[in-house]
Amino acid sequence: MIHLNNVRKFYGALEVIKGVDVTVDDGEFAVFVGPSGCGKSTLLRMIAGLEGIDSGDLVLNGTRINDVPPDKRGIAMVFQSYALYPHMTVAENIGFSLSLKKVAPAEIRRQVEEVAEILQLRELLDRRPGALSGGQRQRVAIGRAIIKKPSLILFDEPLSNLDSALRVQMRAELQRLHRELSATVVYVTHDQVEAMTMADKIVVLNQGTVAQAGPPMDLYHRPDNEFVATFIGSPKMNVLPVSMTRDGADTVHLAGPLGMAFALADAGASLPDGAAKLGVRPEHLKVVAPDTAHFIAEVAIVERLGVETYLTVGSIDQPIVVRVEGDVIFRPGDRVPLAADPAACHIFSTDGRILRSANAA
Amino acid sequence: MSAAPPGESANRLRGDLMAYATLSLISIFCAIPFFWLLIASFDGNAQLFLRWPETWTFANYLRVFTKEDGAKWLFNSLFVVGSATVLVMVLSGLGGYALSRTRAWWKLPFLYSILLIRVLPSTALIVPLYKFLLTLNNAESALLRPIFGSATRDIMRWTGFIDGYLGLILVLATMQLPLSLWIMKTFFDGLPRDYEEAALMDGATMIQRIRRVLVPLALPGLAASGLFAFMSAWGDFLLPLILLSSPELQTLPLGLFRAFLRINEIDYGLLTALAFIYLVPAVVAFGFARRFLVQTFSGGVKG
Amino acid sequence: MAKTLQERRAERQLMIVLLPSLLLLLAFVIYPAIYSVYLSFTNEALTGAAARAPRFVGSRNYARLFNDAKFWNALFVTFVFVLGSAIIGQFVLGLVSALALRRRLMFRTLFSSIILLPNAAPEVVAGFMWISMLAGGDHATLSRIVSFFGLPTADWLQVFPLTMIIVVNTWRGIATAMILLTAGLSTIPQEIYEAARMDGATPSQMFRRITVPLMMPTILLYMLISTVSTIAVFGLVYALTRGGPGGATELISIYIYNQSFTAYQLGYGAAVAVIALLVSLVLGVAYVRAAKVEI
Repeated sequence: MIHLNNVRKFYGALEVIKGVDVTVDDGEFAVFVGPSGCGKSTLLRMIAGLEGIDSGDLVLNGTRINDVPPDKRGIAMVFQSYALYPHMTVAENIGFSLSLKKVAPAEIRRQVEEVAEILQLRELLDRRPGALSGGQRQRVAIGRAIIKKPSLILFDEPLSNLDSALRVQMRAELQRLHRELSATVVYVTHDQVEAMTMADKIVVLNQGTVAQAGPPMDLYHRPDNEFVATFIGSPKMNVLPVSMTRDGADTVHLAGPLGMAFALADAGASLPDGAAKLGVRPEHLKVVAPDTAHFIAEVAIVERLGVETYLTVGSIDQPIVVRVEGDVIFRPGDRVPLAADPAACHIFSTDGRILRSANAA
Repeated sequence: MSAAPPGESANRLRGDLMAYATLSLISIFCAIPFFWLLIASFDGNAQLFLRWPETWTFANYLRVFTKEDGAKWLFNSLFVVGSATVLVMVLSGLGGYALSRTRAWWKLPFLYSILLIRVLPSTALIVPLYKFLLTLNNAESALLRPIFGSATRDIMRWTGFIDGYLGLILVLATMQLPLSLWIMKTFFDGLPRDYEEAALMDGATMIQRIRRVLVPLALPGLAASGLFAFMSAWGDFLLPLILLSSPELQTLPLGLFRAFLRINEIDYGLLTALAFIYLVPAVVAFGFARRFLVQTFSGGVKG
Repeated sequence: MAKTLQERRAERQLMIVLLPSLLLLLAFVIYPAIYSVYLSFTNEALTGAAARAPRFVGSRNYARLFNDAKFWNALFVTFVFVLGSAIIGQFVLGLVSALALRRRLMFRTLFSSIILLPNAAPEVVAGFMWISMLAGGDHATLSRIVSFFGLPTADWLQVFPLTMIIVVNTWRGIATAMILLTAGLSTIPQEIYEAARMDGATPSQMFRRITVPLMMPTILLYMLISTVSTIAVFGLVYALTRGGPGGATELISIYIYNQSFTAYQLGYGAAVAVIALLVSLVLGVAYVRAAKVEI
């Protein structure tokens, strides 16, 4: 189990990691995700030992490893560009760490073949990296990592160099390997789809702090803040400025752009009056009969994908995306009545904190 | 201050100290010979060996221009090498482009062979070159004499092949062509054809394409090859030695050479001042060329 | 592969643009080179009977070469010179400089500027500077440095001529080595070193098992360029020693010069030059072969 405890890092006077607390349990597949510059790669390199930690603790299986050199931590890393040694064969690449420790060649060969068996690399052992495909190279990089029998494997955006078809395939491959090896994994990516599909736990990072951490569906259904709400889920959640007025003890009245108006049940009277933000995902807005509509909007863009159709309504400054199931014909200029599913509405304060999450489980 | 990765601090310090030490030693080794040059040129009574001057003076530098023909030598060198450099830049700019875009079968063998020929020690090529230029020279004067009569000699100073500016400029330029063509060809190889094709679609002729699209894009490569050509031609003293004889045409290296071969006492102050004047343009050019050096060689190393 | 009219016209235009360069090279480089080869088969000379009426003498010059002790001496001297200055001296110092300058140090620009300076100096100037360093017995700068450390001085160019010219040529060429090797080092991605760090490699293991193998193409390229250009060195050494004392520093290029301009035996000099060209060619091919195998 690996535990980061209030970890900080500075580059000169600039604080890039601002007090991060994360725990990854044994066998868990944890994904660090966030936009460029959020610090996810830096954090990964700090765990690896390639960057120093200025304050806070990095604890692996009960031992504080801040000052332990990278090769003695029992941690292995798969680099973004795989960083395979171009002048060595696949077998030599995988066995390199053993040969540095002067392990006997016969033993190296045995262990390399064991690893090659798991990763289906047996026929490629004598090839050079230059003669391998992207997916094969990644498997060699993984082989180089697992031969060290590490307690933790780190992945630094391993799929970003692959084309999209290969990416889907490799995602499945990595999940299979994870199950087979029962390894603990920390995986860094900027792609939230990868995070959602592969992770046991997602850690969303924003400018050096943890915005939220938890299982994927927790983050989807119950985001703690506007940042996570709009980062997770594609297309992005619509966030609209609204004003709320109390209407009795357990109802709140919302008024928003495009003449949007509807009531929201508020049993505990937890929502304050005044300005706020409404968050509702495209899939939770529906085209309804005009008399039950919350608002009527003019369609600007129609995107038909066969299995679903996306409508963009509203203005350039305030677009609203609506998802419609199936292939339904709309034309730009059509006026459509829309309603938001009240159970799937999130209310955020104007500075992005969650005030009330959706009811959906 | 940010923490270093674990295990690195002590190693890095030791490594840095070693680096400073070795770099200092190597730098001292490189710099020492220059001291004499610099100091003696300001020495009122300079000697061959290194010594601290008793009198500091600019007189040596002045003497270069007053007692000797320093001004003329400087002008000749700048004019000859400058013209040769411009010529090389134009020819290699055009030629490099042609070599890059052509699909002729003899392209690669041609490039390799001209590079290889430059391997011959210059002393071997001098004699045939001299004989050839002499023939050309005689032919030219035979052509011009009926027309210009006695003025021919003066004209030949500029257009002659032996003891004339034209010959020296042409030969100096030619010596730099192989490397310059190679540099420009490599440069154009790395330039995507998109720009030319866009100009082609806009209806530009080849001359227009070269002038308005390629030249601006090629400036870094041209600068690099121009600087290399300048430095190499500036340092060449064998060619001027063989090809020039009249005093009006002497270039700096020859003046330097002759100053050292004085029969009576050698004026070291004058010598070092002259050498310093000769040194400065080369160093300045080198300073500009530094940026291009890594780029050029990186391209070569990769492929 | 048939070409359209458009394509052929375009090719022709390219050829026209290339023509002036071709003509110049043909006239001033290729022709003299070929003429030199022709010369090597004659007994052309600047004085004596042969000057009046040079004759074609076949391979007599070459036969004479093989029996000429001074020729073999020149080959030997050149070999030692290239080995000492290009292969060892410049390479080691250039590599050390390149490696040292990769670290984040202060004064990096200053260091690299000073190290590159010797290459910027024109040959003649470099020659003079080293005469001051080495000539004059006790007064020479080198003598003064050496006696500062309590070691005996000597008339350097007389007593250690070959060593001295190796030192001077090394001094001159560190820049080339450093630049080429720096370019080569920069082609190795930083991530590979990080991966090696995670695998547990020490700095010396990283150097031996990663840096050197991956730099091989660059190293071979450097060896080729420096060997070929060192064989052609003339002015610098001639200014210092004129090839003496007693032929101790008579490089091939100086031997050619002496034969052609001192002994006036043009034909013979040309023959030596052709041999030098052949040797360079052989080395060039050897290096290219070695580089191909590396990949």
